[in-house]
Amino acid sequence: MTLAAEATTTDRVSTPLLELRDIRAAYDGINVLRGVDLVVPEATVVAVLGPNGAGKTTTLKVAAGLHPASGGDILVAGRRVNGARPDELARRGLCLIPEGRGIFPNLTVRENLWMMSHCRRQLADIEELTYARFPRLRQRHTQLAGTLSGGEQQMLALARGLATDPAVLMLDELSMGLAPIVVEDLYQLVASVAKEGVSILVVEQFARIVMDVADWAAVMVQGRVTLTGRPRDLEDTLSSAYLGG
Amino acid sequence: MIESMTQAAGTGDMPRVEEFKAEIGEMRLRDPSTARDRQLLRLGVALLVVGVALTVIAYFMSHGTTNPLSQGDATILALAGVAVSVAGGTLFLRYSLATFLRFWLARLIYEQQAQTDRIVGQTDAAPR
Repeated sequence: MTLAAEATTTDRVSTPLLELRDIRAAYDGINVLRGVDLVVPEATVVAVLGPNGAGKTTTLKVAAGLHPASGGDILVAGRRVNGARPDELARRGLCLIPEGRGIFPNLTVRENLWMMSHCRRQLADIEELTYARFPRLRQRHTQLAGTLSGGEQQMLALARGLATDPAVLMLDELSMGLAPIVVEDLYQLVASVAKEGVSILVVEQFARIVMDVADWAAVMVQGRVTLTGRPRDLEDTLSSAYLGG
Repeated sequence: MIESMTQAAGTGDMPRVEEFKAEIGEMRLRDPSTARDRQLLRLGVALLVVGVALTVIAYFMSHGTTNPLSQGDATILALAGVAVSVAGGTLFLRYSLATFLRFWLARLIYEQQAQTDRIVGQTDAAPR
């Protein structure tokens, strides 16, 4: 049974906050997504796993409204939002933290946080929440973001995302270029955010990193979701899925 | 598997989630196909006007000359004007009807839902 079909049953309980139905997308006529079905229910961490070039990042971009879908439906809180502007979706609480962190390297940590005060919260509130979650950023608040370590930059990116008070948080390759211990810390934080009721869609190339955090996982290969299930149930079949066996 | 997914899902009573749902519900979304419909509707009106203009021009062309060749040209121009007008009129009718029927369908669905709510309300209120 596909994740989409399962979601139909789940609908009776509550509408998923994010749902992709048969999503297709292309870059310059080259098809990248070939019918992606994905559901992110409320207060759930869903991991999208898959090898390089499977279409994971494009899936997130389509969900965030940054890349147009050439077919299928994007449903946010049960409403079809194909063609919606990404800033409109972000302002309402659909937040994407892109691959490569998405911070302003030539601004200080504080200024980076300040840039997020256009949303729901004042700078003072954002700083209070951020420094409570990431005490290290308090020590670095006057430092240029570009001079922070990779882990600190990722913390700042997460803090900026969380400053928007998201209902759905999408994380693209949080672990990229970071030491395993830093990644572990970051994912613990992601787990604590999920406990606060934020639905999280996380994309990872290295599957084992998210196994403990995710409630549900989908494996993408060549632009399609080929496998779904509990992360632990998928563990044994991951290698063959990655290698196309 | 379905049960586990359901268990994984939240209860839906979190205020932020409810607020998010409400805000997404209030979003004004423009269907790209509606924009194309509107463009074709405008094209229809433009063709209608151009067709009529061509016919009027053809009348004055024919009226201002005694040369049968020029009058023949005017006749052809007038006929082309009529053809353009018919094409424009068809486009206009097609897309204005689509817009009207879309509103009509939305109204019908709304009325039906309101009626169902009224019936359910009456049924619930009725003594058993």
